[in-house]
Order: sequence, then C-alpha cells, then structure tokens
Amino acid sequence: MPSAPRSNRNRIILIVIILVCITVVTLYVRESDKGPLHKVQNFFLDLVSPVSSAFAKIFRPIKDGVVNLFHLPSLAKERADLQKQVAELQREHVETKEMEQQIAEYKQLLHWSETQAELETVGADIIGQSPNNWERLMIVNRGSSSGVKKYMSVVTEAGLVGRIISVGSRSSVVQLMTDSRSEIGTRDQRSRETGIVEGKNDATVRFTPMKEDADLKVGDVMETSGLGGTCPPGIAVGKIIKVQKRESGLDRYVEVRPFVQFSKLDKVLVIITPEPESVILREAQ
Amino acid sequence: MSRNRQIFLMVVVVLAFVLQLAVMPQFKLLGVSPDLILVVAVVIAVQDGPVAGAIVGFCGGMLQDITSPQVMGVSALTKTLAAFAAGMLKDFFMTYSILLPVLLVFLATIFEMCLYQGALVVLGQEQLPPFRIATIFAESLYNVIAVLIVYPLMRRFKFPQKEDSVILTRPSRT
Repeated sequence: MPSAPRSNRNRIILIVIILVCITVVTLYVRESDKGPLHKVQNFFLDLVSPVSSAFAKIFRPIKDGVVNLFHLPSLAKERADLQKQVAELQREHVETKEMEQQIAEYKQLLHWSETQAELETVGADIIGQSPNNWERLMIVNRGSSSGVKKYMSVVTEAGLVGRIISVGSRSSVVQLMTDSRSEIGTRDQRSRETGIVEGKNDATVRFTPMKEDADLKVGDVMETSGLGGTCPPGIAVGKIIKVQKRESGLDRYVEVRPFVQFSKLDKVLVIITPEPESVILREAQ
Repeated sequence: MSRNRQIFLMVVVVLAFVLQLAVMPQFKLLGVSPDLILVVAVVIAVQDGPVAGAIVGFCGGMLQDITSPQVMGVSALTKTLAAFAAGMLKDFFMTYSILLPVLLVFLATIFEMCLYQGALVVLGQEQLPPFRIATIFAESLYNVIAVLIVYPLMRRFKFPQKEDSVILTRPSRT
C-alpha cells in the first residue's frame, strides 16, 4: 500500500509550503524596510531590472507591431481622419494665403485710388482672358450695372492696363494696351513730348511721338496725355527701354515696357469718373 | 516522479519565470499580461498531480515575489493553493482533452487573483473593493490562450516512471 504514505507525504509537503509562505509573508509585513527580506527583495530587484529593461528594448518593436496589429482598424480610421484634416488644413492654408494676397492687392489699389482724389473708380476682378493669341483681352466682373461704360480706362496701382471695349450688364471686356488694336495718347513725363502708344501683341508697346525729333531717352517714364478723350491724363503707362533710329523710315522706333505685369493681373480698377469724352459726346448725340 | 522529470520541471519553472519577468510584460493586452507561472503550475498539476503543481506554484511564485516590489510570499502562497486546487479538481473529470487544462486554468486564474487580492486586503496592502472583474476575466482569458500553447508543448516531454513502466508484448497466437 504505497499510496497512503505517499498521500501523507504530499499532505505534509503542502502544509510545509503553506506554513513557509505564511511565515515569509508575516516576517515580511512585520519587518521594517531595512529588514533582511526587504534587502533580499531589493537585491534581486536591482539584479533583474537591467534584464527587464534590456528585454523591453528588444521586444519593443515586436510589441509595437502586435499592438499596431490589434489597433489596425482604428489606426486606419485615424489615418483617414488625419488625411482629411491635412487636406482641410491645406485647403484653409491656400485660402488664407489667397485672402492675404487679395487683401494686399486691395490695399494697394485702395491706396492708389485714395491718392487719385479726382478719380472715381470701381474695383473689378479678372474673370477671363482672351481665348486666342491674336488679341490681348481680359474679362472683368463689372458691367453696366456697376456704372461701367465703353472706353473707360482700366488701371492698377502700377499704371494703365487698358480700356473697356465691350460692356455687359455684369461683365466687361478690357482691351489691354498691349493689344495690337490699342492706341492710347501718351506723353513723356520728363520732356512732355506727346504721341501714341500702340500695342503689338507683345510684352512691350511701341510709342510713336508726334514730333520726329522729340526728346526721348531710355528710362523716361511715359504717362497718359489725356488726348483722345478716353484716358484721364497722368496715369503711368511704362518706361522707355529702347530708342532706335530707323534708317529707312522717318519715324523712330521707341519701345516702352508697361509698368503693369499683365500675366499677374488679378484685380483692377475701372475709372468711372471722369467719363471718357467719347462716351459723353456719343451720349450727347 | 523520475529524476529526469524533476529536473525538467525545475527547468520549466525557471524558464517560465524568465519569460514572465522579461517577455510577458511586453505583450500586455487591455492592461494585463498572461501569468505564465500559474499556467505552468496548473498544467503540471494536471499532468503530475496536485502536489507537484503546488511545489511548482510555490517555487515560481516565490521567484516572482523576490523580484517584484510586492509583499513577499503572497504570490507563492496563492499560486501554491491555486495549482493544488486545480490538481485536486482534475480528478473529478474523466477526460484528457485539452479542454480540461483550459477550464482548470480559467478557474485557477480567477481563484488565484481573488485569493491574491483578498490576501493583500487582509494584510492591509489594499482597500476593499480592490477587485476589478474585467481585469480578472481578461487575465483568465489570456491565460487560456497561453495554456493552449503551453499544454501541447509540455505533453511532448514525457518521462516514464520506473515503478509504473510496463512492457507491452504482442499476445502469442494459439
């Protein structure tokens, strides 16, 4: 009958284990923090801490991988949300930049119109360009409902842009001064020599002086003369960049670079008052 | 129990302790990690009897106690009792299916955690109610997952006992 002694032995072992545990617990609880059991515990804690730390470092990537695996659905959702947020913020950023740019442009236009006390203007946005390369036209979002009339001058703070050649109720077509059909009365600001600026479908315009021996120099600023009755006098047009005497012809070739950068135009002012004399005359007829 | 089996169990306890100390904290889910020492103690209680499980629970628990800032001896006591109880409970089931250790580990985990928390309350280390049902169930389920790996591994290592070994012979034809 070996089972009975073995059963007794097992019981004794279990009782001894429980007694040992209870003794250890009691001693541990009753002793101070500097007692032998606490010292043993602290010793082993110090011993295993670096091991635990090392293993933590080793298993960190695996742990992160497992955690990410469990959080994959939420991570995907979070990623989608963040992407939406980024897109939204980017859009807002672009809008803010655009608004800043518009405010800066409006400020410049406002400042210019304030300095031109005798002129009454209405602001307009460029909403279209000429569809072909044979003409230099722009469409603005102001029409007869805003008081815009044919031949009215269109300007920016930099200078003359062109003039209105067609008016709708809510939009108008602007003929830029670089258009080949454009002719505007201008004068040399320094020498007061007058002439006509003609467009040539290019970035520059050609100035034809009234006098053959007009005093013109490279660097002279050209402004509107007011002759012709469409543009008020004194609006900056551009700067002479080339004065070339032609051998074959009588007139000289004077090239003027406009102050306005047409490719960057976004907002313009239409000069409402004074009205072009041609309009006044036509309306009088 | 043969000498080889005893050595094997010692190695298993030390291995479980090292894994518990170094690896298991890295795999916490819902704030809990599996208690590998308890799982091993219960598996040994199923395979080798309640006292063997209790001894393994005591050794593993004591190793845990001296390397953690808890009250020394509590973990050893609770694991001893849980493994012993699981070993005793095994005799009520006439099955060798893996479902047996799964069920026993589940019950032993709940028992051990309640015992542990109760002991801390008695010792004035915790205040009532310290029990968090969700934590207890989470660790129980986690231990169930662990036993699904540990039990088949432990079954691979069998050491025949001298007094129980028998020689099977093919019956002679007449």
